[in-house]
Amino acid sequence: MELKLNTPQGTYTEPEYKEEGIRQMADFIRTMLNDYGIYNVQFNTVDKEVLIDAKNNPEKYPTLMVRTSGYSAYWTDLGERVQNDIINRTEHDL
Amino acid sequence: MTEKACRGAALGNEIRSGTVSKVGSTKRIQELNGMLHANRPNIDITRARAFTKVYKETEGEPALMRRYKAAAEVYRTLSDNVYDYEQLVGWPTKRIRGANFAIELHAHWLADDLPNLRTREYDPFEITDEDYEELMNVHIPYWKDKTCAAQFEKYVSPELAARSQTGGVEDINNYSCSNGSHFIPRWTDLLENGFEKYYNTAKECLEKLDQNDPKAVDKRIFYNGIMEVALAIKGWAERMSAACAKKAEAEKDPKRKAELEKMADMMKQVPWKPARSFYEAVETAWCACFFLFVEGAGPSITWGRFDQYMYPYYKKDIDEGKITPEEAMELLEELYIKVTSNVWFQSTIMAYIFGGYYRYPHLDVGGLDENGKDATNDLSYLCLRAMRYAKTTSPAVSIMLHQKTPDSLLYEACELAAEGMGHPSMFNCESLYEMLAHRAAGLEGYSNYSRKQILKYGSPIGCVEPGAEGLQYGHTDSGIVNVANCLFCAVTNGVKANGVDGGFCGELVTYESGAPETLDTFDKFYAAVKGQMEFAIKECHSALVVCEKLLAEQFNLPTFTMLLDGAIEKGIDATAGGALVNVGPTMNMVGFGTMVDSVSAIKKVVYDDKEATLAEVRDAIMANFEGYEDLQAKLKAAPKYGNDDDYVDTMAADLWEHFATVSAGLKLYRAGQYCDAAIQMVQSNVGMGAMTGATPNGRLAGTPISDTMSATQQADTHGPTAAARSYGKLDFPAYTNGTLLNMWISRSELVE
Repeated sequence: MELKLNTPQGTYTEPEYKEEGIRQMADFIRTMLNDYGIYNVQFNTVDKEVLIDAKNNPEKYPTLMVRTSGYSAYWTDLGERVQNDIINRTEHDL
Repeated sequence: MTEKACRGAALGNEIRSGTVSKVGSTKRIQELNGMLHANRPNIDITRARAFTKVYKETEGEPALMRRYKAAAEVYRTLSDNVYDYEQLVGWPTKRIRGANFAIELHAHWLADDLPNLRTREYDPFEITDEDYEELMNVHIPYWKDKTCAAQFEKYVSPELAARSQTGGVEDINNYSCSNGSHFIPRWTDLLENGFEKYYNTAKECLEKLDQNDPKAVDKRIFYNGIMEVALAIKGWAERMSAACAKKAEAEKDPKRKAELEKMADMMKQVPWKPARSFYEAVETAWCACFFLFVEGAGPSITWGRFDQYMYPYYKKDIDEGKITPEEAMELLEELYIKVTSNVWFQSTIMAYIFGGYYRYPHLDVGGLDENGKDATNDLSYLCLRAMRYAKTTSPAVSIMLHQKTPDSLLYEACELAAEGMGHPSMFNCESLYEMLAHRAAGLEGYSNYSRKQILKYGSPIGCVEPGAEGLQYGHTDSGIVNVANCLFCAVTNGVKANGVDGGFCGELVTYESGAPETLDTFDKFYAAVKGQMEFAIKECHSALVVCEKLLAEQFNLPTFTMLLDGAIEKGIDATAGGALVNVGPTMNMVGFGTMVDSVSAIKKVVYDDKEATLAEVRDAIMANFEGYEDLQAKLKAAPKYGNDDDYVDTMAADLWEHFATVSAGLKLYRAGQYCDAAIQMVQSNVGMGAMTGATPNGRLAGTPISDTMSATQQADTHGPTAAARSYGKLDFPAYTNGTLLNMWISRSELVE
């Protein structure tokens, strides 16, 4: 289904998606869940450099959000050790 | 508190509420988002006042009667604020981003820690000076010896009390301090009937009660209590209606005036009576959600299969031309902003484990219907799309994926994922249904759920835990077992490291499973690892069941009970077993990857290659690898979980099974229940890591252990498919309380 919405006051502009990347992600999720039986997966997709910059310059990112683990949180609400742990996770290319 | 750690938290509200936060599909949503960010998390003592007042007035009355009277008083004292721009009515607190917290569960630690609340490192809260004084002088002294955690200590030895709360191997704080949690109310029924039905049911049951049945003694109290609480909810809605009407009267702008009049009219209908429109259905979903967030102290009041039970209201309004998809989405965005305003109030030690104020509301789309057909509808898409506009942390929007789920919904989910907010979470229906079929039923049993109930009502709660709308109650984030520390103890003969956080440093913290010198074969060492896990699980369980009893006897939850299918008819409170499926305290593993990689490292270096003895490994980890850098390098080079390497994955699958088997064999306080295993303890790997010494995978003392079931940070070096293959070797349905996996994909892979 193609969801077409008319939101003239809206602040959101759709980014230009990389069709190949979105398709690979969808296929990867199907493989993990439907084929391997993995119950749940959740993704961080923010770029690591953004988080490193946000750690040093929080005033530039007052409402940046990140998946901690099981929930999303405003970056600036997190303690430093949690911020470091998230930055230290493995970033994968599909 | 270090200055650096709080730089983010200390950001000025003028920065937070600036144009950058004013996002949304309409001006209204942008302003509401701005209001959200213009407030820092703050304490509201309204609920504390209601509880202290009622409990002081009712000394000597039955426990359930006092509890229900206090719950009713909370509704009578809730704020009646109505802000500009709002369409949804009602707030749990006097200020936005407030916590109307449960004094009766938190007073014991507040007695020591209230002075640090404004400045603590994790989850600081604002509080006014007047409220601070009142808490310190009135409420804390009354409650500090009466909390569940305070009473727990009278049931167990001082050693068990300390180990289960500060040892860092096992932890029960989230169970004892967060009663009333992880629940999917019977939304379908509530929207169709309103709270009036529950009042009427209680009234009829009371009238029909056989006064000579000895059970009538307790049931009279129960039914009268339910009726009082239901009427208090009705009274709240009437107060809100009046507040909207008053604001309408003063309003100059005719358009806004009409909106406020409509809100006043709506509150005369819901949540007491059935919802007549999508708008009223969303209002009911909002206010019932925050009622439970105020009544309960725990996280996660869950919306469950929102796109299913809301769809009839949406479709009718669309068909009759009463609403457009854009107007419906605006209501969803407002709902997301309001629920994000519900911050979780936690003790200092818990905030250190679960920090970030998040309260785990959860909203699911997709899945199957009760006949096993794909259930996707227009609202499934709209719920995901609304998050792209609103950009809020809550709720955790999720897709329930099945073989039959259309690719288009999965693509909508991936496009939301590309926004970088961490939404949505992806769930596999087949594993979910299998978990629910065995929920709380032990190693051999089946749960009380029928297949149709699972298909129609089953969905995740909180972060990932399997639940079912209106059919299940039980706080599923209960006991934590830090298996990285179990592994540490298997090497050190039960002794905790020196110089890490928590108690028992350098002392026996579990049991003596054998000095490393005596563990001369890998099998002996492996048995010690399993023994340490079993010891921690069982000791944690023995502490949790004490709390389960206390919560059932004294910390009852009338609104939860009303929203459980059949509980009123049974005359049993949610905490005491009123649900179809009663979930008791669960056992939740953390540090799995760290443990598995450490076992692998010891097998390789000590027993296969014989490059070091286990006693040398003990000395190395006790010394935090200082002077043992060569050994650390050898240990680090061993095979690691998350790379599709059977050398380590075979042990991973076996240790995984061991944890689930030991947990599911344990009976709980309420008859017929068994413990459920889980591996979903969110961000607790940081706090638990701080209490864990250096581990044989080369990790240094005090640093984070691996999160949830994910491979150790930076250890999965062979790409995402190899990591997924390792995960695919594990038996997921054995974890009847759910599993959580974090992965990171570069955003640059998904968008230009």
